[in-house]
Amino acid sequence: MTDKSQMTHRRRRLAVSRWRYPLISLVSIIGMIGVWALITGAELVSSRVLPSPGDVLAQADHMVRNGYAGNPLIVHIGWSLFRAVSGFLLGIALAIPVGLLMSYSKTFGAITQPIFGFFRPIPPIAFIPLMIVWFGIGETSKVLLIFAASFNYTVLNSAAGMRSVPEQLVRAGVNLGLTRWQLFTSVMFPAALPSILTGVKTSAAVSWAVLVAAELLAAQAGLGFIITDAGTFFRISDVFIGILIIGVIGLSIEFLITAFERRLLHWQSKV
Amino acid sequence: MGTIVLDAVTKIYPAADGRSAEVVAVSDVGMTIADGEIICLVGPSGCGKSTVLNMIAGFESPSSGRITVSGKDIFGAGPDRMVVFQSPALFGWMTVWENITFGPRKRGVPKAQYEDDAHRFIKAVGLEDFSAHYPYQLSGGMRQRVQIARALTNQPEILLMDEPFGALDFQTRLLMQELLLKVWSEFKPTILFITHDVDEAIFLGDRVYVMSRRPGRLKEQFEVPFAKPRSIEMLTDTRFVTLKDKILHSIREELAR
Repeated sequence: MTDKSQMTHRRRRLAVSRWRYPLISLVSIIGMIGVWALITGAELVSSRVLPSPGDVLAQADHMVRNGYAGNPLIVHIGWSLFRAVSGFLLGIALAIPVGLLMSYSKTFGAITQPIFGFFRPIPPIAFIPLMIVWFGIGETSKVLLIFAASFNYTVLNSAAGMRSVPEQLVRAGVNLGLTRWQLFTSVMFPAALPSILTGVKTSAAVSWAVLVAAELLAAQAGLGFIITDAGTFFRISDVFIGILIIGVIGLSIEFLITAFERRLLHWQSKV
Repeated sequence: MGTIVLDAVTKIYPAADGRSAEVVAVSDVGMTIADGEIICLVGPSGCGKSTVLNMIAGFESPSSGRITVSGKDIFGAGPDRMVVFQSPALFGWMTVWENITFGPRKRGVPKAQYEDDAHRFIKAVGLEDFSAHYPYQLSGGMRQRVQIARALTNQPEILLMDEPFGALDFQTRLLMQELLLKVWSEFKPTILFITHDVDEAIFLGDRVYVMSRRPGRLKEQFEVPFAKPRSIEMLTDTRFVTLKDKILHSIREELAR
């Protein structure tokens, strides 16, 4: 074998190994749809209970053209995104400074820690009835619920992140003559950022999950509304489409935040 | 100038909980370090070496006694006494250059005043090609060199080094020791250097202090009979071996006590 052919051979093997796992994942997805098609094709279950992939695709096409319940699909997606993103952003915008303050002031931490700690393990959905009683079925109660859920996951992570900044790093900052404020903004905050972002990621996932739950109960538009409404009228294809869109958007959100995190925390790699 | 005087310095830590007794970490330590001198502090683990350094740095204050630097009492930490930590306390999200210039930038020193120095020091530690790198891209020895360059860029009169080469492999450590002596001969800072390694203490120090077991006192001091500049030939000199033997015995007595 000549050197050149050896090289191409090796290069091909490298290329294969690089695509190996993504390919397996792709096959897995196709396989899942295949099994679905087989089950419905063999009419193992009624198409009223489980529509075939083809039916769902055709119905999706119909929904994209004609919308759902008088609103174009994009309006439903827009409402859901608006509620989730605004609640999520408000939540983390308040949670990060409050979390930082919790670790900065021991008294404030002692006051707030048990309160936030108590609410953390309660599924946010448990508050939906209360929210409706207190704030009605409008946007306020939905955004507030998402806000609270988002806040709760980021606040404790931010506080923990600040507390786990190595003492030596703080001393290095003090040694360099930093003021207390500079120490806070230029040393402690960036050092706590990995932990804060872990909280933010959880908040994003929870916000999206809580949103759908909130829309299941009371909404005139939104992806959660499509699922409940379609379920009520036994339009299972529409339920499937709703679920698929929620899944795809959920994945995209996670992808976006992970990409953002990678950019922001590139310095953490391989440490 | 960078003279350090400790007068009857004692550090007592209060009991961690109600039952245990308070801990006397350092007891009645008196020493004078002249401007431009390199003093090495050795002693058994937990004898209070780092406590002495932290008090001079201003991270902790003595329970009794007095510490003056250049004739003045110290209030807290400051860039006139730069600490080089054992594990490189670098800011991971900043490049080497940003780490080195961090102090002056934050203190509002005009760029023109620190830029030349930073270039000089980054070159002195051999990292001029790595100024855009991040700490995670560097080896352990390189990270310690960044710490040294960062300390020097603040133009301290005093360098306080807390086992800075302890985590490095033997060869890197030797290179770092030579580097430190080279840097010293150029800028002549006063250096307090803590180490476990007696060879290192003799190689670097003008004097070597041995501390006793806790509560840490200054037990003995040894003059190192070698002029600077020093070279590694010194490590096999009979005077070196004799001195090393004496110091090891002094430490051994403490361990056996």
